[in-house]
Formats: sequence, C-alpha cells, structure tokens
Amino acid sequence: MIDAPGPWGSGPFVLAEGHSSLDTEQAVTSEGPFACTWLQRQDRTPQVRLRANTDYWDAVRGPHLREIVFRNDLSRSEALDLVCDGEGEVDIVTEVPHAQADRVERSTQARLVCVDAVRALAGVIDRDAKGLPLHDVRARRALNLAVDRTALVRDLFGGRARPLAGLTPPTPLTALHRAPDRLRPYPHDPVRAARLWRASGGATRPLRLAAMHDWEAVAHRVAQDLRQHLGVRVEVTILHGAEELEARRRLAEKTASQGWDVLLLEQGSQTADVPPLEHPASFRSAARVGWRTGVEHPAHSSVATLP
Amino acid sequence: MSVTQAVVRRLRGSPRGTVHVVDGNPLNWLYITYHTVEELVRVTKQGKVRPAAMRRYRWVDARTLEVQVRRDNAFADGEALTAESVRRAFTEQVRWVAPHPPGTHFNIDRRTRCEVTGPDTVRFHLPEADGLVLGKLRATHVMSERFWRDLGFGYARDQSGEGHW
Repeated sequence: MIDAPGPWGSGPFVLAEGHSSLDTEQAVTSEGPFACTWLQRQDRTPQVRLRANTDYWDAVRGPHLREIVFRNDLSRSEALDLVCDGEGEVDIVTEVPHAQADRVERSTQARLVCVDAVRALAGVIDRDAKGLPLHDVRARRALNLAVDRTALVRDLFGGRARPLAGLTPPTPLTALHRAPDRLRPYPHDPVRAARLWRASGGATRPLRLAAMHDWEAVAHRVAQDLRQHLGVRVEVTILHGAEELEARRRLAEKTASQGWDVLLLEQGSQTADVPPLEHPASFRSAARVGWRTGVEHPAHSSVATLP
Repeated sequence: MSVTQAVVRRLRGSPRGTVHVVDGNPLNWLYITYHTVEELVRVTKQGKVRPAAMRRYRWVDARTLEVQVRRDNAFADGEALTAESVRRAFTEQVRWVAPHPPGTHFNIDRRTRCEVTGPDTVRFHLPEADGLVLGKLRATHVMSERFWRDLGFGYARDQSGEGHW
C-alpha cells in the first residue's frame, strides 16, 4: 500500500497529498492446510493530490496536467450535481450509474463517455438450499431461462450492458466465443423455464434473493421475472455497507447458512488493461473461494485449483 | 533524454491546469499507483507488453532474462533509478506469498535470482522457463530507497507484506 504521500516512484506524477489504498481482512477458506483470501475495503483520504513530475522521462506520455485532485469527500449524487450543473469544482466523474446517464447526456456542461466495463454481474446459486430444488440442474436452468436479460439491459441499464454467455466480459481476445455455434447467453424462454421448474419439483418455501445495494433495481426485476414465470414466491434482501462485506466473507468461508438462495454478485478485473489474462485465473480462484457457494465439493475444487 | 523526447517536451510546454476528479471506481488505488510509480514494463490497451522503466530486454537463454534500465531515469526525490533499484524491488516483493491483490498468478517464481550485472543491467535467472515473466514484471513496482525505508507497502511499518497493497 502507498498510504502516505511522498516522492516514492518515478512515474509522471508525484503523490503530493493524501492516499488511496486498500484495507484488507482475512476470510479463512480452509483450516487444513490453512488458507485464506482477503476481503478488500477502500481506504482513501478525503482528497488525494497528484503533482506533475516534470522530470519524467517520457514526454509523449506526459505529464500534461500540472495537478490532478481526486475528491473523495463528495457523494456520487453531489459529484453529478457539480459536474452537470457546477463550474470548476468537479471536472470528471467516473462510474456514472445507469439511471443517471440520461441526465449527464442532457447536461449542457457535461459529456458522457462510455467504455466497455471489465466486470460481470451474475447470480450465485446455493445448491444446498433446503426446500428448493437448486441441487437439480433443471431448476438452475429454469432460473436462467426465466430472467429476461434483454429487458434488463434495455430497461435498467439503458442499453449500456450486454447479456453474457459466461463470466468473462467480451474483449477482442474473447471475440471467438461469440462466433456462431459457440457460447451464447441463455435466451428468455418462460415456457421452458416453467416446465423445467415443475419437473425439478418446485419450491416449498419462498426463494431468497439477495443483492448488493448497487443492484437493488436489478434484484427486484429478477424477482419479478421469477415470480411471474416460475410461480415461485421470492423475498428480496438488499445488503448495505457492512452487510456487503459480511456476505462476501460468508461466501468465501462457505458457511453452512448464507441467508440467501441466490446472490447477485459483481466481479471485476483488477487489471483493467489485460482482463483476458486475469479473468480466467481470477474466476478459477474465485470459484474455489467465492463463486461456488455451499460446502466444499472435491470434484469442483479439483477443477478450480490453480496448477 | 533523446532528441525526440526533447522536441516533444519543447512543443508541449510545461504541464498546466488542474483537473478535479470524483472516481468511484474500486481500482482508484491502482490508477494512482500506476501514475506515480513505474514498473519495468507497461501493458497497452491491446494487451501488448512494452518497455517502461526498462530501456530494453533480451533473453540470454530460455531461463535468463536480461533487462537494461534507462540511464536518465530518476525517482521524484532525485535518486537515480538503477539496476540496484530493480533488484531491491524484486527482492522486497518475492518475500511475500501474495504480493498482488489480483492473485498469485502474477507471482514470479520465488526461486528466481535477480543479479545486478552492471549499473544499468540486471539478469533474472529463472528456475525454469516462464514465457509470462515479462508481463508479470508489470506488477513489480520499482520504488526509491526512501520508500522501502519509510513505507515499503507496509513491510517497514507492519513487518509483513501480506494483504498490504
């Protein structure tokens, strides 16, 4: 961590004020042999200031700016107000929520720039859920077929997302996976979904759907699809603040009771410049510690274990 | 500084202006690291590995990677960035089981030996062939001696690099 300002490196900027780093705590994934993973939290000062390193060797790369000031003292809403309607206080806001994108486009002062994200949103299914047939592949397929992803993208993401066939977002290196006869996202097929759900035995209690608070609207839409097409009762729980970290811990530690049957979880790449290099490995390791819920499954772990 | 760099610098003039950013991206820590620190290589948006703090490299044989650092490179406090800086960065990093947040797949084999063969030249002696080692150097931050003494990614303060990034 670089958690103090100083002339530490040789890059185009110098960390002149504040810091932005990661704080972590352990989640134990195995006791014999002991193994753990880290749950990350951001640790930022209210303001982080970068000052140009005018002696930087690569003049083509920069620095072009005298200073960059990261303001961490503003809420997302305040930041959007300032970038859309203010003057000079905020110049760039990243991570504009889908619901706010139209507002930025309508603004006379701000411009919306869209880039392909290196992240995916998926539902983690607890196969060991009591009272639900989620151990049955037909039931899990039914959940997938019942959700109208195209409508989700259109109505909730403003068209700024795309259904995925797997967990790796599309990139130039994964283009072949979208070629004909290769992997395709689940279609929306309510009739087949209902048939598979009935064949798997159906539910004897409500399905518990949980989501991090950023994905609340998605959770309610998915719940609506499941109720409508599978005839299952769905209870939605939205996790806030510390609840999110606790949910990730329980998922990683594979505790017997997660408190949900399906969890909407976002996974992003930490190497924004080379997601195809990182995603396979991160998903394999994440599958071992996070993406597969329930008790340890030796056959699954043998696939997920890194060489 | 090369003629090209001098011309570009003259044409561009001094850095100017201040930009205020509200960045909600969880990778903000990494953006700040990558803008204040250099590694031996960078990776382009197309996934190409390109020299950064290194001037050039060559494979001496299948298990020996030779790297030459830039002679005109220095840290922000004026200390020269040399082959010894690279050796120190590698030595500090290889002490830990998991020195990178994305995972241990960025680890360079800890049996690797980093040898300074000249003021600007180091050789990485790998225990076995590893075609990805050049890309893995993207995650080896070359820092000043002052950094390792005072901060060291938490090593100096907490006596451990595990889980500190």
